Amino acid sequence: MTELERALVLLGSELDFPAEPDLYSRVRERIERRRRARRALLVAVALIVVAFGIALAVPDARSSILRFFHIGSATVERVHTLPPARERPLAAGLGPVRSRHDAEARSGIPLVLSGVTPTRYYAQPGLIATLLEYRGKPVLLAEMGGDQAGITKKFVTPETRVEPAEIGANSLWIEGGKHVLIWQAGLATFQRVTRLAGNVLLWVEGDRTFRLEGDLTKGQMLKLARDITR
Amino acid sequence: MVGRPLDESDLIGRAQRGDTHAYEELVTAYQGIAFRTAYVIARNAADAEEAAQDGFVKAWRALGRFRPGAPFRPWLLQIVANEARNRRRSAGRREHLAVRAATEEPSGGAAPSPEAALLTAETREALLAAVNELPDDQREVISLRYFLGLSEHEVAQALDLPEGTVKSRTSRALERLRESYD
Repeated sequence: MTELERALVLLGSELDFPAEPDLYSRVRERIERRRRARRALLVAVALIVVAFGIALAVPDARSSILRFFHIGSATVERVHTLPPARERPLAAGLGPVRSRHDAEARSGIPLVLSGVTPTRYYAQPGLIATLLEYRGKPVLLAEMGGDQAGITKKFVTPETRVEPAEIGANSLWIEGGKHVLIWQAGLATFQRVTRLAGNVLLWVEGDRTFRLEGDLTKGQMLKLARDITR
Repeated sequence: MVGRPLDESDLIGRAQRGDTHAYEELVTAYQGIAFRTAYVIARNAADAEEAAQDGFVKAWRALGRFRPGAPFRPWLLQIVANEARNRRRSAGRREHLAVRAATEEPSGGAAPSPEAALLTAETREALLAAVNELPDDQREVISLRYFLGLSEHEVAQALDLPEGTVKSRTSRALERLRESYD
């Protein structure tokens, strides 16, 4: 260190800096204020989530929120008046009973199915369906891929509950009241098959849309869905 | 120089987990050097206090990104220095003589050390005047390096400069000061 540098160090020790303020009390106050603000924000977000959940569970409120959903190849719409429909078998409109091999060949969709044994197979271009028996009740499983097949579900509130489910990338549970199912299969030979439907779970995994329909609770349906796609 | 707590890494670890008491100890340990660093740059006591305060709050928020084992002081001073620079740029109320010589007696009224006594009042005033006349970039380097006792590496980090730039600025500043000192 040169003489000049030593002189600078000495000078530094004799400088009259302003008195050192007590910073921590103000720093702590700001940290605490920020923490309170974050907690308040988290509570607000949680309240919004809860409020939305409540709104979905309350038919009147739900009807103003749910108007139109796309779930993969399915469209779910809230309408004021249901289209004409009647009670028909689960597999109505799906064509003749086929072997699994034939159904997969016609639909172009290899069936995703494990844990249950189907009793019958059906197919349309872009759509494969099977009838299962679960807990002694008939259940229809439909799988759709691509854009050749689709379904439209129409419902009228407040009779029908529509709410999210916890499966796949996107899902919806539809329960209660009269809701109408419209199959649309084969773009070249457009078909519409309309019938009243039971409880339905719709979900999307990858590029495939799954639909389960039957007289099961939401919990039972979710368990079956998870078994099937395991 | 400000001493470092022996268990600094432990305090930082606890503060990173949200322990405000641990952070209080860090603030207490470094508030002096943080305030003076801000003062050297902002040249205004009120701005320096705000800059140091904001620096500590921002450092608290950024603690999650602090690399374990790295020295805390230069990391903190970089945040504080940045806050001070922002205030200096925006406030436009720099005090011309913000760094002032003390009275004839050293701070606190203690008797001057034999070494300090060698620095005559005239020399002290001339040297301080010369420091105050330096361009900002050179004055900051000199102040942090010699008045506040930061290492060259710490000065570089605090001012967000390469060490080579700090060396060259220091060299140029010393050259100018030598003219007044000799």
